[in-house]
This record gives sequence, C-alpha cells and structure tokens, in this order.
Amino acid sequence: RDELIKGQGRGCLLKEIHLNVTDLGLGYRTKEELIFRYCSGPCYDSETNYDKILNNLTQNKKLDKESPSQTCCRPIAFDDDLSFLDDSLEYHTLKKHSAKKCACV
Amino acid sequence: WEGSWGLYFPQSTYSESIYVGQAAGTPVLQVHAMQERASEQPYFCLYWRRLQKSAPYASWFYIDAVTGVIYMNKTLDWTDFESISSSWFAHAKRLTLKVTAAPMSQKILCAQFPNAEVSLTFFNATAPTCGQMKIEKLCFPDRDINPHIKENRMPGPLRQLRRFTHADLCPNYNISYRVKPESPVPFIVNDSTSELVVTAPLDREEKEVYRLILTCLVQTEKELFTNFTPLHISIYDEDDSPPYVNGTDTEDVLIEFSRNKGAAFGDLFVYDRDTTSTYHKEQSQNKYVWTLLTNDSWIKDTFTIQQNFSEEKPIFGNVRGTVYKYKLRLIRNISVDEKRSFQLDYLVNDTTFRGPEGTVMLHFNVTILPVSISFSNITYFYVLSRKSMTYSQIGEVCVDNCLKFKGIEIAYHLELSDRNISANVQSCYTAVDVARNLEDMSGVLYVNDTEPLRRPECQELQYVLVAHEQHKQLQAKTLVIIIFEGEADPLRTDGQRSLACAEKRQRGECETFSGLGTSTGRCQWRQGTEKVISENYSTCSPDLRTCPDGYCDVIESKNISICPQDCTREPIIGGHERGLMLGIKAGHGTCYCYLEKCFCEQDDMEEAICDDMCKTVIATA
Repeated sequence: RDELIKGQGRGCLLKEIHLNVTDLGLGYRTKEELIFRYCSGPCYDSETNYDKILNNLTQNKKLDKESPSQTCCRPIAFDDDLSFLDDSLEYHTLKKHSAKKCACV
Repeated sequence: WEGSWGLYFPQSTYSESIYVGQAAGTPVLQVHAMQERASEQPYFCLYWRRLQKSAPYASWFYIDAVTGVIYMNKTLDWTDFESISSSWFAHAKRLTLKVTAAPMSQKILCAQFPNAEVSLTFFNATAPTCGQMKIEKLCFPDRDINPHIKENRMPGPLRQLRRFTHADLCPNYNISYRVKPESPVPFIVNDSTSELVVTAPLDREEKEVYRLILTCLVQTEKELFTNFTPLHISIYDEDDSPPYVNGTDTEDVLIEFSRNKGAAFGDLFVYDRDTTSTYHKEQSQNKYVWTLLTNDSWIKDTFTIQQNFSEEKPIFGNVRGTVYKYKLRLIRNISVDEKRSFQLDYLVNDTTFRGPEGTVMLHFNVTILPVSISFSNITYFYVLSRKSMTYSQIGEVCVDNCLKFKGIEIAYHLELSDRNISANVQSCYTAVDVARNLEDMSGVLYVNDTEPLRRPECQELQYVLVAHEQHKQLQAKTLVIIIFEGEADPLRTDGQRSLACAEKRQRGECETFSGLGTSTGRCQWRQGTEKVISENYSTCSPDLRTCPDGYCDVIESKNISICPQDCTREPIIGGHERGLMLGIKAGHGTCYCYLEKCFCEQDDMEEAICDDMCKTVIATA
C-alpha cells in the first residue's frame, strides 16, 4: 500500500465538475446532469530513473522520432455506472465514464 | 337449479364506532344475509377470529340470531379500553369480530358457514352529545362499503341504513331514508325498519351496477335537514347463460409449409354472456372444457385445441361477457410427405351451466398438403470478381418456398458436377462453400478460399447444389455455375495483417483497403449525416448490403473481423445504442472496431473539410 501512495503523486488529484450529459459530446439528447470526476495534476515526483533516462534520450534526440509516454495522472478506479433517460424516453447506461481514484502511472 | 350457493352476505365488511359509556343492550349494527329460497331463514352467530387466543372483548357483544342485530352485552367503561389497548397513547382500538349465517336447520354448524367481518372502532372517549354531532354523521358512515347482490336471487332487505350508535344519541330527531328515484330501480327503503330492500330478482346480463342516491331526512325540533350519499350496488354473476356460436361453427384449415410443433391454425369463437374470472383459473365458475371427437390416434397425437378467453363488453350490449377463441395447434412436426384431409369435430362444454344447451359442437376442416423438396428449373449463375476476399457473400439459394418453411429442416452442400477431372482442377472447388441461414431454410454461397481465384484453370466452376431434407431424407439438386473475372490482386497477402474493414475510421483509407468479406476487393464506406446517435452512423464495411444491417448473419458469425458492427458482444465505447443481443444498433459519429472492441465517436474532421469559400479565403490570405 505504501507503494500505491508513493505512486499517486502529490499533484495528481481527483477533481470534479458539474455537467449536462449533453456536454459529454457522446451524442445523447437529454436534459439530465451529472458530476464528472477526473484526474489532473503533475506527476514529476513519482518519476523513476527510467523516466529520467527516457527524458534525456528524447532531449538528446537519440530516439529518432519516437517519444515514449511519460508518467501521467490517470484514473485507477471508476465511478459507478450512470443511467439516464433521453429525450425519446430511452434508457442509456454509461460505464467507466468518471474517475473514482487517481494515480501516476 | 337449486341450492348452488345458499346464503351470503351482501358486503364482506361492516364497521361502526363504539364509545366508553355505551350501555348494555344498545344496538351496534345490523348484518343481513341474502337468501336463495324462502325456506332458507338465516341463523346468525358471532365468533372471534382467533379461537385459540380468546379475545378479551369476546363477551362484550351478542347477536340476535334471527334479526342479525349486534348488541352490547355490557356497559363499556374506561378499564375496558385499557384491558385491550397495549399502548398508553392509543386513541382508538380496532376490535374485529366475525359473523356467520347458517340456514336455520343447520344452526349447530353455524361457524362453518360463510362469514363477514365486523370491524368496531373503540374510542377511548365517551360518545359525543347530540349537539356536537354533525347532521351528516347521524345519517351515513364516514367511509362506505358498496354492497353486492347475486343475480337471480330472492328479493329482501340488504342493508340497515340507520346508524344505531349515533342516531340513538339524538332521540328527539326523526331520521328517515329514501332512495332518490332517478329512474325506476328495484330498490326501496322500508320506513318502519330503515332497511334498504331489493324488491325483485336481478339479472346481471341486463345491468351490472345500480348507482343509487340515498337521501337522509333529519327532522329536528326546528327544521328539516336533507343529506345525500351515492351508493353503488354491484350485481354478481352466475353461470346462467349457455354458450353460443355467432355465425360459423366450421373453419377451413390448410396445412402446407408451416408444419412445426406449436403452429396454430384457424380461429373459431364461442360466446357466453356470463363473465369468467381470470384471477381464479381453478374456479369452476363458467369453466369451459373441450373434447376432441375422434378415435384416430394419428390425429390425437398430432393435434390439440388451444383455448383462450377474453372479456368483452361492446358486443354484449355494454355488459361484460366472455369470448372463447379456439385454434387448432400442432403438438408434433408433420413430415413433408404427409397428405390427408379430414374433419375434426370437438365439443365445447360450459361445465357449470345447468341448463340443457350447455355444449357447442365446432369443426375444423383440415387439409394437409405434402411439400415437395425441389428446385424450379433454374441454374444459379454468378460472376465473381477475382479480387473477392474470403467470406464475401455470393448469393442466396433456396429450394422452392424455403422462406415459408417452418418445421422442415433443410441442409445444403456443394458437390462436384464432374468427378472425372484432374486433381489440380478439383482443388479449385474449395473456392466456394454454402451455409444454411440462421433464421430460415435458405442457403448462402460464399467465398471459402481465395487461393484458387488466382489460378487460370479455376476460371469457371460448376457445382451441384444439393438440398437435403433431414427428416425424410429427401433430396433436390440444381446446378451452380460461378465464373471469376477480372484481375487478381497481386499484392494480396491474406492472413498477414489485420483484415477488418471495421478498423478504418476514414473514407479514404476505407475505400482503398481489402478487408475480409469484400466482394470487390475493397471495403465500402457509409457516411452518416446526423449529429446525434443514429442507426445510419458512419462506418467502413465489406458490403453495405449485409453489414451493418443490425443482424449478425451466418457468414458474419464465422469470423468476428468480417462485421463486428453487427456481431460484437463486448461493451461499446462512446455514444451508442446496443443491438438486441449483438452488435451496435445506433452510434454517434463514426463507429470503428478493433476485433470485438468497438468505439463510436464524432470525429473532428469538420475543420479539415474545407469548402470552396474556405479555399478562397485561404488562397487570398
């Protein structure tokens, strides 16, 4: 568990915003709303030697055109499913749409 | 038809209030039992619901066995209320008694006869004085229970209108009741007893509900008050109408292509003016049974009668009645060569009707025709591009009427038309195969192997298509000729990379790609136009006639890469509506899939699409 906490990073936090379902841009027509939670923040403090080396190699242009992914702040668990009724009275259920827990991975 | 029901209570519950200080010998309420015959004088008795746990209030009441009036046996005092109330704060307590009515001759068995509940609310207070009583309270209970009467019964009193407890508080008032005559009704009030009386036997088939207005007249020292209340009296049904047929009692039934177990044919109707309860299926009231009148064991083993009933109102003059519907139903498959014709008679019996005409005879004129398994004189002929990919669909084959077949199993396979050919040419024939459709008895020809397509000796293939009826082993054959034309794709490397059209997200890369199942060697693009979730979403498919059409057909189900849009079982990411069992029913923007994993999203290509106006702007800039 210590490792998990170490891996979370101090800057990587769960934030939330109140939205209309239509704001999600998924094409649903509805007046329903939701709380959307997302992960955001820097992950510098959870970088390892691996990340430093990659960073150096990229800056020295040793890795041709490739730019490997760096540590980033991502959900490691998702909120419960969200169900809503659309304007034509059909039900939809969104799964894995909102973060519950964040970590630098 | 005597003695079928006997005595009954015209209401299932009676309720009244009692108070501290109510004196021994005062009446509480009166129950009535309706008779069937004059000789059936009711004998009333009281008992308590839980005999094993004697109710402490059991001895406070007694009933007049002849009139049905319940009286106080003791004067109620404050300790009586405490003796039955478990709570300090209770303001009132409900006491429940049961009253039964037996014919006088069987009064010893009284407790076993039909009962009604008497619910008395015991208030922890003395009765209000006459001055505190509202006039309405003197006349009618706060909440009334509508009574019911069975049809065809003896007339007689059915309800005591006087509220004994309340009316007795005002001994100087003269309270009387009337039935307000809107139209002539068979109900009057007996002025000397204040009882509501039904004056004649009633017929439910004539009128189901009588809506009365009761008038209560209260003559005080000074003035006359009038009060009204509605009262709905329901007439209960009994089986006093015979079944009848309206129009024909015979139905012609032709059995040809539908021969499966469970198939139903014909519609014959029997009418009954009585009602039939759907709640108590086991209840014998108006229960219909049918009997097949045949000794032929083949018929008995093959057919049954399906009986359904429904309640209808308009066709019976706006009074509820029952319509029974009969269908002839197969209880096993009939083989394709069966040929018979016969008349099947069956008797429908209204078992609870006591009259002489309680049955109806119905007939099905059944003709069973044999079904021939054959191909009409056609040769299937297809021209195919050499660029066709594996699993591209060539065409549908069908023995005559195969789309109508139910309960007939057909299997298809392909054979060589000429066995005297070289092994090299024989190997061409792996190119095409046939599969039976999932939902009907037609077959689908499809490209099974693309290797022969590139070989010149495989330019024209002649197959014999064999349709095989599974039960009677009947066969039918026809010729299938397939000609390959055009150039083969020289660069093709089947199996070396992913071949799913569905992976392509843009029109350009879709239409230049050779995906699995494409008959031209190129995938096809469908451009959706709507901004919301639509069944016409944008997507890339091997053949827009079969994919995505919302149905995962027999060829598509052979390999998930052919049409995952119709066949995926995995959760879909993005705005979408799932298909009934498989696939995507509707999607937002473009739907694309990597193997079974499908995504639907609006692509941000709009900025890239630049119209003439925009080009001009950019050029001048």
